[in-house]
Amino acid sequence: MSGLQLANGLAGLLIVTSLLVITAKRPTTSAFFYALQSLVLVGIFVTLAGVTGSHELYLWAGTSVVTKVLLVPILMTRLFGRLDDPKLGTGERISPAVSVLMAAVVLALCFAVVSGVSLPAVAATKPALAVSLAHFFLGLAAIVTQRNILKQVFGYCLMENGSHLTLALMAAKAPELVEVGIATDAIFAVVILGVLGTQIHRTLGTLDADQLTSLKG
Amino acid sequence: MLNLALATILTPFLGAVLVALSPQPVAKHLGRAFAGLALAFVLGLAAVFAAAGKPTVARTVIAFGDVEILGFAVDTVSVLVAVAVVAIGLLVAIYSGDYFSKDNREHADIGRRRFWAFLLVFIGAMAGLVFTSTVIGQLVFFEITGACSWALIGYYEKPKPFASALKALIITHLASLGLYLAAALLFLDTGTFSLGALAGLPAGLKTVVLLAILVAAWGKSAQLPFHMWLPDAMEAPTPVSAYLHAASMVKVGVYIFARSLMSAGEVPEIIGWVGSIMAVATLIYGFVMYLPQADLKRLLAYSTITQLAYIFLGLSLSVFGSKLAFDGAIAHIFNHAFAKTLFFLVAGALSFTAGTRMLPVLRGILAKSPVLGVGFVVAALAITGVPPFSGFFSKFAIFAGGFEVGATHPVLMVLTVVALLESVASFAWFLKWVGRTVPGEPSETMAAAQPLPAAMKLVLGILIVMTVVSSFVATAWLG
Amino acid sequence: MVPSVLPLLALAVPLVAAIGIALLPARDGTTRRTETLHLGAIAALSAVVLALVVEVARGTDVSALGGWLYVDPLAAVFVALIGLIGLLTGLYAWGYVRHDLEHGEIGPRGHKIFHVFFHLFLFTMLLVVTSNNIVMMWVAVEATTLGSAFLVGLYGKRPSLEAAWKYVIIGTVGVAFGLYGTVLTYADGASVLADHEGAILWTNLAAHASALDPMLVKIAFVFVLIGFGTKAGLFPMHAWLPDAHSEAPSPVSALLSAVLLKCALFVVIRYLILTTRAVGADFPQILLMILGFASVAVASFLLYVQKDLKRKLAYSSVEHIGLIALALGFGGPLGIGAAILHAVNHSLAKALIFCGSGNVLMKYGTRDLGEVKGLLRVAPASGVMMMIGSLALAGFPPFNLFVSEFLILGAGIASGHWVVTGLVVLLLTVTVAAFVQIVSGSVLGKAPERIGVGDVGWRALAPMGVLVALVVVMGVAVPRPVARLIEDATAVVVGADRATPIAAPWQKAEPIARLAAPAAPRS
Repeated sequence: MSGLQLANGLAGLLIVTSLLVITAKRPTTSAFFYALQSLVLVGIFVTLAGVTGSHELYLWAGTSVVTKVLLVPILMTRLFGRLDDPKLGTGERISPAVSVLMAAVVLALCFAVVSGVSLPAVAATKPALAVSLAHFFLGLAAIVTQRNILKQVFGYCLMENGSHLTLALMAAKAPELVEVGIATDAIFAVVILGVLGTQIHRTLGTLDADQLTSLKG
Repeated sequence: MLNLALATILTPFLGAVLVALSPQPVAKHLGRAFAGLALAFVLGLAAVFAAAGKPTVARTVIAFGDVEILGFAVDTVSVLVAVAVVAIGLLVAIYSGDYFSKDNREHADIGRRRFWAFLLVFIGAMAGLVFTSTVIGQLVFFEITGACSWALIGYYEKPKPFASALKALIITHLASLGLYLAAALLFLDTGTFSLGALAGLPAGLKTVVLLAILVAAWGKSAQLPFHMWLPDAMEAPTPVSAYLHAASMVKVGVYIFARSLMSAGEVPEIIGWVGSIMAVATLIYGFVMYLPQADLKRLLAYSTITQLAYIFLGLSLSVFGSKLAFDGAIAHIFNHAFAKTLFFLVAGALSFTAGTRMLPVLRGILAKSPVLGVGFVVAALAITGVPPFSGFFSKFAIFAGGFEVGATHPVLMVLTVVALLESVASFAWFLKWVGRTVPGEPSETMAAAQPLPAAMKLVLGILIVMTVVSSFVATAWLG
Repeated sequence: MVPSVLPLLALAVPLVAAIGIALLPARDGTTRRTETLHLGAIAALSAVVLALVVEVARGTDVSALGGWLYVDPLAAVFVALIGLIGLLTGLYAWGYVRHDLEHGEIGPRGHKIFHVFFHLFLFTMLLVVTSNNIVMMWVAVEATTLGSAFLVGLYGKRPSLEAAWKYVIIGTVGVAFGLYGTVLTYADGASVLADHEGAILWTNLAAHASALDPMLVKIAFVFVLIGFGTKAGLFPMHAWLPDAHSEAPSPVSALLSAVLLKCALFVVIRYLILTTRAVGADFPQILLMILGFASVAVASFLLYVQKDLKRKLAYSSVEHIGLIALALGFGGPLGIGAAILHAVNHSLAKALIFCGSGNVLMKYGTRDLGEVKGLLRVAPASGVMMMIGSLALAGFPPFNLFVSEFLILGAGIASGHWVVTGLVVLLLTVTVAAFVQIVSGSVLGKAPERIGVGDVGWRALAPMGVLVALVVVMGVAVPRPVARLIEDATAVVVGADRATPIAAPWQKAEPIARLAAPAAPRS
């Protein structure tokens, strides 16, 4: 199996992990699956780096290990572990089965869109590119379909991983500062969402997005 | 000359700023003083203009830093109308100073600074509109008068006046779409906003631009289908109605239409047809609406609608080549301004002294207050066009113009005859109310009336004189 | 492009101020020191911004950090806006936040958080508009959300926390779209340009835009428009905006509405330039027109029905952003120039009226228009300025929005979009009604007994006075230097040489005629 096929295969694994993130019962479990997913992402980076000989990608893999596999999941576990809203339950608007079905549809659509791109750089990694795009939209879907505000944060993380993978596939030689900037930003976003979530939990006593309804119209 | 015109426009604005900055009791004096100052400037302008042999002066050069701002045109028409709007502005200011008082039986009020500031801005904006020589200038002043009229109609700050004020603002603002369109089209085709450029437009585009201006004019002059704001606007304090709904704001429409006809050179006949048919439709509608009115002010509002329709009719007839109809229409702008202001101020004086303006309870006005009785009769006769009062002469010119062009266009002849019939019928209707309210023993309400303050009497007196004189002034001036 | 230290200085001043204030202890005794530092910082920032803008206006595009920062006339317009509105809202905040502190709305900690994040927010916005590196541009936009989130949630009450949450989640998700668009653009550029590093700079991309893959450029523009359009508050991605604008402290509402939305628009304009050069103007213009018109249409009605003063103003922002997008969609030198002028004018008027809403809050303690009555009687100066702000936003002359709205409508007619232009005018009439309601319902009328007569302090009134003056000046005649800068900015967008003039319709009729004419290609 060539390196690029491996990358495509790992990309498929990303979808599986993101479904796990979305359907997990507790936010802390989601954080664990997110870490796992980021590990897969790092795997893809390393594979791609091996194939393209891009030193930058090794650097990316390194920073991703630090930020996405370790820092963000740990932060999330620490921030979210203390918060609980028993009334909310799983907080899913749609059942896990429907989620999986939706993921399949999104994936199919993304394959269709990506097949129209004629850039030589991505000719061999089109499946992975489609997955990265689908991943982005899965994250969006997670935000829309989850009532638990903490799970919405994971939705954002999935979107961010999707764009990260797209960047790696399409522009492997991007300066590492780009990657650092994106990663740092993601960390800040997670921290701020976490702090706000904590404040909401403390002041309002709920994690249910449907309860945040005093502002209307 | 242009400096005098500019001074006429800017003086009231300056006065408004000063009013806003001074304490309330001073506002009244400042308001009167600046309105007077503006009149002095415009009369000075008229004198200089006449002495120079009435040359048309138009310049687009009034520097503001290193940029040019609005162009102005001084000619016979603009000077005549400017004198009317500024003079009546002063008369209304003098009258209002006493009208807004704790003694007012209908609306006790102290005459807030708001009134004086917006009245002054209105006078300035009216002068600006009259003198401006560009479509964009017309649009700007059109919108400023709209905003001021909103503030003045809603002056009493009750929900109903606010609703009426909003209605007036929104309907006229919708109509202003016509001016936006006209300005943009004129500009895109000729690269200038100058009214003078109208003449150079290709025929099709000229028709569109003139129709757009006509729509805006209908809106401000409360013609069908934009008429409904004016009767409701009678919620305004009566001096405001006298100024806005007799002399100035409603004249904005006819004036901008007149100016564009003057500048457009050869006007497509379709404009004349649309204008005259709508005018006659409005005439009939306005007359029908006289019949159920018991409130003097609402009656006057519908009367204003029909009188403006006469002006539109005259202007539209001039498209078919009648200079007489055009001059008649311009003279009617001038004459109607004084006569209708008088009528409104009489209504206001009745509110002030008797606490009501409902016609059925008013009787024996003449016996109780001669000046009000005379004012009522004179105003009614002048509006309906009985000689020797002013309305007769201008209406006569419009009808004469109508028969002149009717000789070749039978349909126009029919329209003119319909208008003539309306004139007779409305005379009969007003005569009925005059007969019921003016002579005889004072009714209970009228007997309890309080005396009028001197300033209000003075203003009524001047206006009574003007109802006779104004048409001679207009005729002499227009030559 | 001339290297200069000024962009760096402009970024350094607010950053240093934020750190400096953060290092001060938050106790009752230190609030005055915080204020001093705050005032010093905004004064210094406006001086630097002025120097920078003057430099650019003289005709030299400046850059710093090896081209990562780049200020051309387009950026300079927005830098100037941030500097000016930052200065005035900063001054306004002096009185406003002190009032909140004295009335126990916030503690010394809140006082400190406000000032730290105020400057951080300014820093992030300046970073957006000075970035030449498209990824840094995205990072900066994302950072503006994060920087202002705590400002929105400053009061820590239920609605403000809700608003902050919605703001951050919708903002970050929206901007994630922006990231995707950015990544696509960069990847596209990297595969075309010989120099991989260079593909990250907007100037390089713009110079080689015609070589980009058309399909990718289109997809990227859609993503960018959704992403940064969210931040700009375009319908249907505007859901965060009314909440955040209404719950934030008033000076922050002013900043959000007057400047932040414009920063997002700035990014959209940057991509509009790339897209137009790569695939022609039709594709982006249609999208902008659809979103712009939808925003105007929906916002004008929502604006009308609001009962909360600040929510009303927030929907008015959606509407005006829609108008700007529409003008960009009309295109041509006239449309683009009108859009940029409208962005500037809207900022001035909206900052004014949001500060006015702050005065209302200080006076009445509520934003409910049903309870706010008779402002003119209890606080005459605030009342008059609210009235001017309302009339200006309703588009009446002689105030500034009339000028730019007229130019936008002119651009609509010039580009042949009669129906859209006509409908927009009708919709703007709804806005007029909405603003008139504010004046009749709340500025006029009888004040409730409990409200004592007396205006708010001069600290709050003075900056508003300056804004009133600017609103009138820009409405009567656009000052030459400002007009020139906007003309140059327009030239950057349409790619013509720098001589397309912008002016009020009555200023020098002849040069505007040239503006309506098709632009000469850049030689």
